[in-house]
Amino acid sequence: MSTVIQPGRTPGTATAPDSAAASGTRLAVRRFLRNRLAVVGLGVVVFFVLFCFVGPLVYSTDQTHTMLHQVNLAPSGAHWLGTDAVGHDELGRLMYGGKVSLIVGLAAGVLATVIGTLWGAAAGYAGGWIDAVMMRVVDAGIAIPALFILLVVSAITTPGLGGLVVILGFVSWLVPSRLVRAETLTLKNRDYILTLRAIGGTHARAITRHILPNSVSTIVVAATFQIADAILLVAYVSYLGLGVQPPATDWGGMLSAGLTAAYSGYWWLILPPGLAIILVVWAFNAIGDGLRDAFDVRGRG
Amino acid sequence: MSTPTYLFRRVLQAAAVILIVTVVVFALLHSLPGGPARGILGPQATAQQIEAFNHEQGLDKPLPVQYLYYLGQLAHGDLGTSYTLNEPVSQLITERLPKTLLLTVLSAIVGLLLAVPLGMWQAVRRNKPVDYVITTLSFIAYSTPVYFLGLILVLVFSQALPWFPSQAPQGHTLGQVLSDPQGLVLPIAAGAASMVAVFSRYMRAATLENLSEDYVRTARAGGSRSRAILWRHVFRNSLTPVVAMLGYYVPVLFGGALVVEQLFNYPGMGLLFWTAAQSSDYPVLLGCVLIIAVATVTGTLIADIVQRIIDPRVKAGRS
Amino acid sequence: MTADQRPAAPAAGPILRLDDLGVVFTTQSGEVPAVRGVSLLVEPGETLALVGESGSGKSTVALAAMGLLADNARATGSATVAGTEVVGAGEAALAGLRGRTVSMVFQEPATALDPLTRVGKQIAEVVRNHREMSAKDAAAEAVELLRRVGIPEPEKRASAYPFQLSGGQRQRVVIAMAIANEPALLIADEPTTALDVTVQAEILDLLRRLAAETGTGVLLVTHNMGVVADFADRVAVMYHGEIVETGPVEDVLLRPSHEYTRRLLAAVPRLSVDGEDLSETPRAAAPPIEAEPVVELDNVSVVFGRGRGAVRALDGVSLTVRHGETLGLVGESGSGKSTASRVALGLITPNEGTVSLFGTDLARTRSRARRALRAGVGVVLQDPVASLDARMTVGECVAEPLRVHRRALSARERQERVAAVLDRVRLSREVARRAPRELSGGQRQRVSLARALVLEPRLLVADEPTSALDVSVQEAVLEVISELQAELGFACLFVSHDLAVVQHFAQRVAVMRAGRVEEQGDTGTTLLRPETDYTRRLLAAVPVPDPVVQRSRRTERLATLAAGRTEATA
Repeated sequence: MSTVIQPGRTPGTATAPDSAAASGTRLAVRRFLRNRLAVVGLGVVVFFVLFCFVGPLVYSTDQTHTMLHQVNLAPSGAHWLGTDAVGHDELGRLMYGGKVSLIVGLAAGVLATVIGTLWGAAAGYAGGWIDAVMMRVVDAGIAIPALFILLVVSAITTPGLGGLVVILGFVSWLVPSRLVRAETLTLKNRDYILTLRAIGGTHARAITRHILPNSVSTIVVAATFQIADAILLVAYVSYLGLGVQPPATDWGGMLSAGLTAAYSGYWWLILPPGLAIILVVWAFNAIGDGLRDAFDVRGRG
Repeated sequence: MSTPTYLFRRVLQAAAVILIVTVVVFALLHSLPGGPARGILGPQATAQQIEAFNHEQGLDKPLPVQYLYYLGQLAHGDLGTSYTLNEPVSQLITERLPKTLLLTVLSAIVGLLLAVPLGMWQAVRRNKPVDYVITTLSFIAYSTPVYFLGLILVLVFSQALPWFPSQAPQGHTLGQVLSDPQGLVLPIAAGAASMVAVFSRYMRAATLENLSEDYVRTARAGGSRSRAILWRHVFRNSLTPVVAMLGYYVPVLFGGALVVEQLFNYPGMGLLFWTAAQSSDYPVLLGCVLIIAVATVTGTLIADIVQRIIDPRVKAGRS
Repeated sequence: MTADQRPAAPAAGPILRLDDLGVVFTTQSGEVPAVRGVSLLVEPGETLALVGESGSGKSTVALAAMGLLADNARATGSATVAGTEVVGAGEAALAGLRGRTVSMVFQEPATALDPLTRVGKQIAEVVRNHREMSAKDAAAEAVELLRRVGIPEPEKRASAYPFQLSGGQRQRVVIAMAIANEPALLIADEPTTALDVTVQAEILDLLRRLAAETGTGVLLVTHNMGVVADFADRVAVMYHGEIVETGPVEDVLLRPSHEYTRRLLAAVPRLSVDGEDLSETPRAAAPPIEAEPVVELDNVSVVFGRGRGAVRALDGVSLTVRHGETLGLVGESGSGKSTASRVALGLITPNEGTVSLFGTDLARTRSRARRALRAGVGVVLQDPVASLDARMTVGECVAEPLRVHRRALSARERQERVAAVLDRVRLSREVARRAPRELSGGQRQRVSLARALVLEPRLLVADEPTSALDVSVQEAVLEVISELQAELGFACLFVSHDLAVVQHFAQRVAVMRAGRVEEQGDTGTTLLRPETDYTRRLLAAVPVPDPVVQRSRRTERLATLAAGRTEATA
């Protein structure tokens, strides 16, 4: 669900005076490491990346053919997490589907951030009526909940993987655009930008040499939250019937496929993908929270 | 800015936003396979029928002309006719919207009532175990897809422990829905969870920021106790920005309602939308999108006006 | 106020006694001692000024005496208020003391009050913290207090929100809260630093009157020697967390014994008042002959906003800065002086009037030509932190104008120019490789100056370049600017709120008020024998760091004011 608001956009800690000698990067790393939830989140993400991309090399399973002789088996020594309705090994499927969830989520999150950054920076720097019109467009985008748009799209077409990324990117760039606009508005009135303009510096120089570099931390933090949201959105997309088509799958697809089975007591079909989604989304949110503390970025709504 | 001027400008802004939404919906209408004709005549229509319809409806005219025509229809409250239910879309929506509003408003109230005290508690106990536990839980609640959460709720509180029904109350009128409050518990819980997560984080941040404000020190220097300062000053100051956030959260609430209604079979607009999507009932889909957008814009407008009332600075234009 | 509600302040003995007070802050980089071995006394009815530069620990001492230190601070030693120990006291004991026996007035009136609570209610809260009183009686008491602190129409103002009041009025409200229960001790932490000089004079008068009326002891924390001379009976000078000198105000300000105090006082710019020898103020001498104008504002008006909310920030302003001279632009906040400097820089386009830079009308130049013209301009702005991009090294910051206007330069030539200009502003060449955040405020302002001078401009616009700096640092920065001006001959538009600084630094001065130029002329004439009432009032409000002179200036000012009032009523 692409929320307009990310959880916990806290200014974090009121930073104590730091020793002047410590370099910016080292300081940021230290602040990040002090946020224990963020460190755990980083660990979780690393684990799932290894699990999904290296896991299949170690634990090889057949995820293409249906094997009707072994459907809905409970977890056992042969199948650690049991099998699903067409006989695929559930643990293997978790790795297989995770790849799609992670890749699509990452790509869509980054795409949304890029679109949002360009739009927000342009609106904020231009100001005046251009800004007003551009932000009304953002308001309009926000006014239509993403899930509704996605459901309409699913009624019209069934996109491929690339199309999915583009669609997700285009429904969720609104939040980062607001954030980057706010940042640009503050930065463009900073004294060093005024000084640059007063001595005859160009707008291009102000944007490329000052505003964008100084927005990097805001953008990185926004991107992290955006990836979390995108992974969650991918899970919804499968539920809405817009996801990748069988035999390919993703965690959301596994989850919605297992929904009906859950009432029959086949818990292993829904708990693993459900927990995987929660853990990974949680982890990206925690990392975003830690990065925000580390960069001392103020994320406003 | 005086209040009438403000209201006028704000409503004008909202109108501009809705106008942009109509452009989006119009564009979607024209990107349908077969265009709007297919949408209105239904999937069984032949190519000849579509062509005849296009000519008859002026759909072979230039797009801007068609858009104006479409706006004219909207102005008359004409959202088209559902071809699966054979009823005017406007009538379907009038029937279903109040129920969705009921569900979302109740979820929002429950969510806020939990989130605000939780967030303040976290701020006061900052970096203590309570803070970490609630933060972790908030992130988990936020990270859980609503349909998964709803499923778990049903499995636990309806199947394992037979406390609440797994179906939302049915019925045509709000009265009928409200006559079965038990049935509303699980849908509201599912709808409120991520709201609690998001707004407890907001309240925590706002409270922390206010606790470090100068006026807190002034109050302490005047002999006020921490608890009194928290409730008399910090609470109100922290709540104002959170109310402003509420406006932005309206679309998320509607998005949640879509899933919750489908999951608990609650006869609101979300369910209507869902079934329409399954049967490619385009007039219903686009009509709902438009109405949801109007509802969102109105919600944001109300939140802004409420904020203006509770924060005198906003009124003076210096917040 | 009845007698039994008065604090149990013993008539005998000091009202505040600090004994070997120490404060240590726990930070990421370890324990940082902020205050060491501070001992001092405040007797009932006397005013002790605690002076020092930023980072000297004076505010920390004040907060420690209230038990208001931040959570990461730890106090040692002893601080007793009216016989009650504050160091290590619990919240209940402190709450009983604060607002009744000891009160505090803070520096920043803009943020010291709860923005969402009516001011009357905030005052009533302090009243009811310590007195059994109905809400209604407390509200009436609050109105009475507002009257005492000189707020007009107190009944009406009691229901105002803080944002509806001016800075001076807000500070009066904070003072009303502080005196609500007639405390035996008032701690004022830079109470007038955020205010304009005329408002500062009024607030100091008010504090003096209230303290005298109730026999309240005052601990005045300030960096401003003029305020000390105006208000204090005794002075304690702090340096690096320790008290280096204590004594009666005449002794410390006129015959300082400690080396640091002498240095500090020497760095304070003094306003020369009528009758004093002017030859001591070197910059005021020799106005240059009719040189060509470098920048010229002709009948410029600027309006911000539209419709009824529009604000006329500048109204028919004409200014000229000539080659080699410095024009000081003075005025209180909101007078339009900064706006005028931004118009001169071409950052704000005037609604009416013309601006010409180096003889060219800015409105008639195309953007490329205008950019080329601006190569001749250097800028130094007020905020040492915001003036430099934290993501660049000092060298890159200084080199930026070269990258804009001298694109043909090789990297080596650029480095050489940067090194040379760093030499000029007396910074070591190594600084070029460091990050701005590693430098002190004074060093950063010199980096800004280096950046402004790297293209050898014909015009330097300096908007409050030293007002965020301590006096000793300010002196050094101003010295560098004037030496380089003598060497390079640029014209300088110098914006400042500090009349003393302008008197020392500028040959000509323009006094601004409410978007208009009130009067302008040679500094020597205008600031010694002003032609307008406004300038006279402005000058009279500036406290001079000499208690004897300041006392007579104050009497004179009050007499003038009283005369003005009778005239007005008559």
